[in-house]
Amino acid sequence: MIQMSGIKIESLRDIEQLQQQLAGEKSDCIARVLICMTGCRALGAQAISARFRERLRGLGLEKQVVVVETGCIGMCARAPVMLIEPYEYLYGGVTPEDVDEIITETIQRGKPMERLAVIQDGKPVARFGEIDFYSKQKRLVLENCGRIDPKCIEDAVERCTYVTAIKALTQKTPQQIIDEVTESGLRGRGGAGFPTGVKWNACRKSPGDEKYLICNADEGDPGAFMDRALLEGDPHRIIEGMIIAAYAIGANQGFIYVRAEYPIAVEHVNIALEQARALGLLGPNIAGSDFSFDIEVRMGAGAFVCGEETALIASLEGRRGMPKPRPPFPVQQGYLGKPTVINNVETFANVPLIIRNGAKSYSKIGTEKSKGTKIFALAGKVNNTGLAEVPMGATLREIIFGIGGGIPKGRKFKAAQLGGPSGGCIPAAYLDSEIDYDSIQEIGAIMGSGGLIIMDENTCMVDVAKYFLEFVQSESCGKCTPCRAGTRKMLAILDRISRGNADIAELDELERLGQHVKEGSLCGLGQTAPNPVLSTLRYFRQEYEEHIVLKTCRASVCEGLVRVPCQHSCPAGVNVPEYLALAAEGRLNEAAEIIRRRNPFVSVCGRVCDHPCERHCRRAEIDQPLAIRTLKRYIADYMPDYDRLMVRPVSQEAETAIIGSGPAGLSCAYFLALMGRSSVIFEGQPIPGGMLALGIPEFRLPKQVLEKEIDFILSHGVELRVNSRIENAQELMKQGFKAIFIGTGAQQGKKIDIEGIEQDGVVDSLEFLRDRALGKGMDCHGKAMVVLGGGNAAVDAARSAIRLGAEEVTILYRRTREEMPAYEEEIEGAISEGVELVTLGIPKSIVGSKNAVTGVEYVRAELGKAEADGRRRPIPIEGSETTIACDLVIPAIGQTPSVEPARFENGPELTKWGTIKVDPVTMSTSVIEIFAGGDCVTGPASVIDAIAAGQKAAVSIDRLLGGSGELPQDTGFSCVRPDKEMLEQAPPRLEEEVIPVEQCKRGFAEVVLGIDREQALAEAGRCLRCDLENQ
Amino acid sequence: MGLTKEASLDTERLNQVLESIPGISATDLVPVLQKIQEAYGYLPASVLMNVSNRTGIPASRIYGVATFYEQFHLQPHGRHTIRCCRGTACHVKGGRHVIKAVSQTLGIKPGQTTEDMQFTFETVACLGTCFLAPAMMINNDYYGHLTTRKIKSILETYT
Repeated sequence: MIQMSGIKIESLRDIEQLQQQLAGEKSDCIARVLICMTGCRALGAQAISARFRERLRGLGLEKQVVVVETGCIGMCARAPVMLIEPYEYLYGGVTPEDVDEIITETIQRGKPMERLAVIQDGKPVARFGEIDFYSKQKRLVLENCGRIDPKCIEDAVERCTYVTAIKALTQKTPQQIIDEVTESGLRGRGGAGFPTGVKWNACRKSPGDEKYLICNADEGDPGAFMDRALLEGDPHRIIEGMIIAAYAIGANQGFIYVRAEYPIAVEHVNIALEQARALGLLGPNIAGSDFSFDIEVRMGAGAFVCGEETALIASLEGRRGMPKPRPPFPVQQGYLGKPTVINNVETFANVPLIIRNGAKSYSKIGTEKSKGTKIFALAGKVNNTGLAEVPMGATLREIIFGIGGGIPKGRKFKAAQLGGPSGGCIPAAYLDSEIDYDSIQEIGAIMGSGGLIIMDENTCMVDVAKYFLEFVQSESCGKCTPCRAGTRKMLAILDRISRGNADIAELDELERLGQHVKEGSLCGLGQTAPNPVLSTLRYFRQEYEEHIVLKTCRASVCEGLVRVPCQHSCPAGVNVPEYLALAAEGRLNEAAEIIRRRNPFVSVCGRVCDHPCERHCRRAEIDQPLAIRTLKRYIADYMPDYDRLMVRPVSQEAETAIIGSGPAGLSCAYFLALMGRSSVIFEGQPIPGGMLALGIPEFRLPKQVLEKEIDFILSHGVELRVNSRIENAQELMKQGFKAIFIGTGAQQGKKIDIEGIEQDGVVDSLEFLRDRALGKGMDCHGKAMVVLGGGNAAVDAARSAIRLGAEEVTILYRRTREEMPAYEEEIEGAISEGVELVTLGIPKSIVGSKNAVTGVEYVRAELGKAEADGRRRPIPIEGSETTIACDLVIPAIGQTPSVEPARFENGPELTKWGTIKVDPVTMSTSVIEIFAGGDCVTGPASVIDAIAAGQKAAVSIDRLLGGSGELPQDTGFSCVRPDKEMLEQAPPRLEEEVIPVEQCKRGFAEVVLGIDREQALAEAGRCLRCDLENQ
Repeated sequence: MGLTKEASLDTERLNQVLESIPGISATDLVPVLQKIQEAYGYLPASVLMNVSNRTGIPASRIYGVATFYEQFHLQPHGRHTIRCCRGTACHVKGGRHVIKAVSQTLGIKPGQTTEDMQFTFETVACLGTCFLAPAMMINNDYYGHLTTRKIKSILETYT
């Protein structure tokens, strides 16, 4: 061991020699165990380190195996994290109990331990360089972070720290350094991206001998933690960067202004400064030169505004941290009125890199105007949280999906919040944009310090905007009016929006105020404070409007609107927690009754609902969401009195006519009946049910189940006339009906415009499914078929074809499986039944001879950049045409709304998409007596959306006809709080069983089996009863 | 509130603080207050008056600084300080439920101290431990990946 005490660096040679000695030091070390002792400390890293030392001592290995307590290794999601050199195995989620095995398996035998390795594409990957999280990064600034003991200057010097600085101040002039930094294109990493060399030059040129250098480590942006990681993990690097900067600008005194909330960073920096002073790397006449420089640590006292440079200086001067107007800029008059340079931690960390390798080499990385790398703090709804260093110009997709491993729990990406409270929210459409200082600004965010918070579909954008505004509002120092009063006014509006109490005109007011605050505020805090609001208004205005108009929060977050997330996210508003609680007590009739107060289709929705309630279930934060749909089916299947009426059948003469007996029409009739009104349903087909009967195949929704449910609805006094096509709603008005509901759905398949489409052997999926439902099903025996599309209709058609005897069935879809709109479980079912899935194939033509189809020609595609909805556009690969041989082609690429009854002179207004235009709250059309809902309004949507539309229309019709439009009371039936212990011990989410594949292929038997009483009670007992939380 | 109404406290600790910073000037005010708070647990009014008299820094300025920064408090704190993070990552991961759970468990709101002086409950802008979200600190210990149900058992280890 080299004895460091007493060594004093007095020349460049000294430090070079020391570095060489440290690097060449031969010891009998066979392995280094690197344990993150900063972030991972919260999750038990200390106990692991202690156990290692104890065991290694016991084995007499303490000299050969060195335990190093490092800074952040990076893969924070798997904390506590450790890395074993020289094998380069990275382990996560380590406990003290794992230590013995790690010693015997990895350290002594060199073998990786798979159970502690990172799981990637379903496989364990232990080797550091093979883990996507690292291999897709470019770790230059973070090169030492997690590899050295930050409390040990030997480790730092061994890795060449300080050599560059001493070389610079002994061999280069200050101007040469400034020129090098200017040429490198380095821009300030703290936020605005001001060119660092230009700043230094201005300070150097400012008159006066007394100059100051400040390192801004007041990392206050919520969501940023790279400065903290650098200070904790590689403090000597920052000091080295500061020495170089101080020499360049001519400062003899520096400060590191660090947040008090970072105790480990403060400790490590103080240790590092002591060590550097002891070696003569700080203090008078550094390394024998005539340059003197020292650094003092100042702790911030908790004021976000002190991240603003003039406020930070005020704080250093012992005053309240309030900003000053610029000019004069700090480089002219800063600390104590003297020229001062303030740079961010990450900026200083870049400086040694530039001086060591030269500006040319540095500027090779990055984009034209943003050079080098940027560290992003990846957090929020992303699998691999942690620090990600990438070249400027990387895309968000590379960072979030490549390095970050995508969104947890299979949820959808909604937005990335970049730049903290001064930044903005970037929607999915920009996932493939290159990220640098300038491009980010165009999108409406800022680079800021690089905090990157990922948001999924369960994040409300109004809530996010409100959150940031609350933050800046409370952190506003109060000096200038636009920031102090403007943010308060904006917050008041946002607060009203989040409670559903705002007026739609206030959105414009919010935008206008935002512009004023932006333009009129004194400092960066105020000038950027409206950004989160403005960017969410720009990209997510619809969500704001939904809060105001529909009083809904689609993410089920805003407390003023949401009683409980499952109920709120149900379009029909079914009181989920109470019916689950009744089901858990075995009171199935009552449970069904609660559902039926908002949704007549208990059996149907228990089978085919797309269950938005489950996507918002809070139990998912603990383990898995409740199996709400499964339980609903259990209730329907096992309730003793299925046919018991909700109210006495209505009998007075019908005043309302309903066109179409799909879920929307039937629901409308049902709810009218609950409110005491009779109606007549006109159905063009021979059987009722619309898409439920003619679109969804029996193996998902058995015929008798549907019939029973429709009978239940009709038994409330609803009249049904089948085979009664209504061409024109006006006829019905002439017949004396006082209100009309149009629920005609979207029954026509969208035409696909490719060559050969007119041939025999091309049958649209809807027609194919309809014929089968009406008993006119096509015999598919021995046939090969290709289904074009990726939605539920495509998968339903494919699975029906298998059951009808088709030999080969292929689904051809132009994007990837992840983008298929069909339900995942249905796709899985299709594949298990033998359906072949060809993705990334764009149909080009239908090949045929003599008017019979012989195949489908398609061209292979690759995914290009994101489209407006965030899905990536498939780009055809030239010359990759392939043909699938087949006898039958079933296009299933979409449905067009059926709005014929609304087409008459002075009839209801239509939208540009050909749907009927309605008020989203009342479902009323431009004709006062006519209402509409379901797919003819929305385009193809879910069953529960149609049911909700029927419900809303019934309420409006009741009001139109003089009623109060009140639906039956549906709360207060069960208020029993669940036992906390029972909740802890609850079993995992129940998965429904399916019938064997062979049986599937033989016929149209229902695929998914129900559950039994015991399973149902256990599953229902997992409910957290979030509805009782606020009572 | 005024700065003069409080009973005088021992000045021994203050002497130590002032001695540890040679040649005190107004630019040292923030570190001086930090050290006083470390020594006394809070910033007692009488001590601040004393500082003003001995350093010549106007009491109004000391009061201004002491009330501007969130770190400083003019009232005694509880034995343990809980700091719940309200950073963005914690927010989108349900941090407000954690804050609510701490409030409910202790029966106090953020910014308050329990009657038995055991806990002071604060929220902070961001603890910089977003990978632990939702997170909180009790004194200098971090707690991460919190759920409302973990709160009670964590707090119990401090009573």
